[in-house]
Amino acid sequence: MTIVEMLKDKEHIEERVYEALEKAQKSQKDLNAVVTFIDPKEQLEHLDEVKGGLLEGVPVILKDNVSTKGIKTTASSKILENYVPVYDATIVKKMRDAGAIFIAKSSMDELAMGGTNLTAATGPVRNPHNLECMSGGSSGGSAALVAAGVVPMAIGSDTGDSIRKPASYCGVVGLKPTYGRISRYGIIPYSSSLDHVGCFTRSVKDAAIALEVLAGRDDFDMTSSFEPVEHYIDAVKGDVAGKKVAVLKNVIDAIDNEATMQCFNDVLDGLRTKGAVVEVVEMNEALLKALLPAYYLIANCEATANHSNLDGIRFGNRKDAESSEEIMIKSRTEGFGPLIRKRFVIGSYGLFVENQEKLFRQAQRVRRLIVEEVNRVLSEYDVFVAPASVSGAPKLDDASRDQLSDTYLVAENHMILGNFTGYPSITVPMGLSDGMPVGICLTGSAFKEGELLNIAQAVEDVTGLCDMKVGD
Amino acid sequence: MKYDVVIGIEIHCELKTKHKMFSAGPAAFGQRANTCVNEIDLGHPGTLPSVNKQAVRYAIMASTALNMSIDRLVRFDRKNYYYTDLPKGFQITQQFHPIGSNGYLDIETEDGIKRIRIERLHMEEDTAKQFHLDTQTLIDFNRSGTSLVEIVSLPDMSSGKEAAAYVSKLREILFYLGVSDVKMEEGSMRCDINISLKPEGSEKYGTKVEIKNLNSISNVQKAVDFEIERQSKIYDENGRVAQETRRFDEATQTTVSMRMKEASVDYKYFPEPNIFPILLDSEWVKKIQENLPELPDQRRTRYMNEYGLGSYDANVLISNKELSDFYEEVCKVAKDGKIAANWCISELSGALAKRSETLSSMKLSADHLGALINMILDKEISGKQAKEVFEDVLEGKDPKEVAAAKGMKQVSDTSAILALINQVLDENPQSIADFKNGKSRAVGFLVGQVMKKSKGQANPAMTNQLLTEELKKR
Repeated sequence: MTIVEMLKDKEHIEERVYEALEKAQKSQKDLNAVVTFIDPKEQLEHLDEVKGGLLEGVPVILKDNVSTKGIKTTASSKILENYVPVYDATIVKKMRDAGAIFIAKSSMDELAMGGTNLTAATGPVRNPHNLECMSGGSSGGSAALVAAGVVPMAIGSDTGDSIRKPASYCGVVGLKPTYGRISRYGIIPYSSSLDHVGCFTRSVKDAAIALEVLAGRDDFDMTSSFEPVEHYIDAVKGDVAGKKVAVLKNVIDAIDNEATMQCFNDVLDGLRTKGAVVEVVEMNEALLKALLPAYYLIANCEATANHSNLDGIRFGNRKDAESSEEIMIKSRTEGFGPLIRKRFVIGSYGLFVENQEKLFRQAQRVRRLIVEEVNRVLSEYDVFVAPASVSGAPKLDDASRDQLSDTYLVAENHMILGNFTGYPSITVPMGLSDGMPVGICLTGSAFKEGELLNIAQAVEDVTGLCDMKVGD
Repeated sequence: MKYDVVIGIEIHCELKTKHKMFSAGPAAFGQRANTCVNEIDLGHPGTLPSVNKQAVRYAIMASTALNMSIDRLVRFDRKNYYYTDLPKGFQITQQFHPIGSNGYLDIETEDGIKRIRIERLHMEEDTAKQFHLDTQTLIDFNRSGTSLVEIVSLPDMSSGKEAAAYVSKLREILFYLGVSDVKMEEGSMRCDINISLKPEGSEKYGTKVEIKNLNSISNVQKAVDFEIERQSKIYDENGRVAQETRRFDEATQTTVSMRMKEASVDYKYFPEPNIFPILLDSEWVKKIQENLPELPDQRRTRYMNEYGLGSYDANVLISNKELSDFYEEVCKVAKDGKIAANWCISELSGALAKRSETLSSMKLSADHLGALINMILDKEISGKQAKEVFEDVLEGKDPKEVAAAKGMKQVSDTSAILALINQVLDENPQSIADFKNGKSRAVGFLVGQVMKKSKGQANPAMTNQLLTEELKKR
């Protein structure tokens, strides 16, 4: 069931919520996507207080970096394995006020750093379409649970492509709106200037409803926007006549997967048939190749500072030692996984006074150039598109990636463009590649979420992949 | 050998904002430990900073009063270091673009006015307070996130006296602006002094030593003077001054080493990503700048011009803002500002000291003191009577009513006083004889007799004059 369908039936909310909870519990053995289950009893008792809300009685799953008052929030890290927040993230309040019922917190890559969901403290999340494959990350648990039909909506966060990549691998819609569109207050951060909150759904219309609930200015997040929130569902018409769609040549040139390209080209043909103007554009290749290195620097530099609060002193997992300094060192050393420690070292290195100019600041300048390059394209097109992944989800033990190949640098990481610019970006399923789902990523201009969702709807209309879930 | 001394001062001053620098947590002093905190002040995961507008306003006021230029584009940076009193693991400060820069302050020295340049004023958040016990460390996060400004002077001072004058002047200005409590003893104003010496005429300065823990202005002077002497002695004996942080030890009145300063720490400053640069509205800034409260220097000049006070009296009043504000209220009623100043400085201050009270704890009203002063000026009561009435005025009573109840009035009628004088002269022929024999003391005795007969109500000055005239006639 989609959100749209659920809202039509308000007679069976309680059954539906417990059914979702049961399904989530049953899925655990296969998917391992849940970190903490939430008893919905109390929420259901208060449901009449939020009657008529846009998410009335809709079961929702939260990524485990979303702070929930009184409910364990671990960000899938050992250092936070016993952390219970004393406050709710702004989006939690917003969704609750709209009638959403939270049933679980989902697994993620440790502290949202990663694209595989293999680094979660509770172990890897498996892809519901093939349990030998990864879900993708970092919001892998949320993507897998929506794909498995447990809930119609789950929250994710996206710093590089952490919503849009797992959405592609799991065959669901993954939306990351404009930076500042959704409050980040209460989301355990990764990299402040790149972090976005977004959602997974199984239809574009559901994404529009979710966004309307989540979006809006929050005085607790100074980077949140005063831009008025649209009634997005009204914008979602799938009407693309005359719309200009840019296809990123650099990305498709770097993709060597015929099945993926077949899906992609079918979608483009469908859009053309609907009257869209689809043209191939080329971006500066050198800038695209600089995307990933610049991203790593900015993200790791910000992350190393952002996570300096995880010291075992006030909350989280404290390791006893002789002095307060040793407590901090021991708690951090034992609390973080090796990948996280590696990123902190890189981040610290990039911020050292002797390195900062040529590393961190240089990366920020590169980011600016890339934003200008994207602006050049978007000044002439409504959206630009590319496959969200080269292929379907890799196997759990896949270590074959050549991190310096064009395929990896450009084809697998172009969605970072949405984080560098902060522009709204969405992954929509476009078909199966060798039996596994792949998505198409569409990116539009700042605060033009309505337009983006409208074009995404046209894609969904072309593919017919609405409310696709495993077992269908 | 003689040495040149250079002294630069960094001052951390807590702002009197209701809330913290980046959160709505209450900013309060003296509350139970860890009760004035929220998730932001504790650096919980997922929290974000929101800039306190009142703190920005106060920083603009302080920068303006210190003749600084204002950077309308407000930007913040992160200063990264791990310490248990720093919950986020970084402090949000303004490293790269302080809100105020290039200002100055004029201090009075023995050689006249000296201008001390001020390099920068920036906003930041305070840390938590730690209590190190034998076996544990306790942390009170109430102070965590409190709004601060740091004011950094250039090394333009060269003696303990100048350093004390600078701190004192700065403190006075911040207090008059109402932006801070500036209580050095409670730590709402903290002062770090950098001091180094070089042989007179030499180019190269010696090692810079930092002094912390100065909880009063007199300690600033003592610490600097001690430090100059200490370092001079080391150089005289061809020794090396260690690069270190020292603190002033109250008990021994000396500075003692706290810790060595090795290679400078890399705080890995970078722009705070959670606060976009804020462009302040120029009209808003202008309005703040145009509506600054009166500064101590302006008030001093006004007292000298308007009330005819000497610089000493003006300074005494201004150094105590509460008294100075009260004095102005008194002057709204009193006809003579100079006499009002005398009353405030000697009678009033004396009475308060004697009772260990403050103005705010007394019922005394400025109107009443003004009226009392006018009663003296109008010769309604004598100065001596006024002092008696004042005791009741301090308790909040109306001086007119007090004087009436006590039956006090001053007799200034010549014929009435003359009648009393002649009565007294008739009764004291011996005194007249003494006067004629050149014993001037006799006058005093006779005046006393007249006063006694008038029950203290005769105008003493008139009595004195008339009596002398009458004596000469006899």
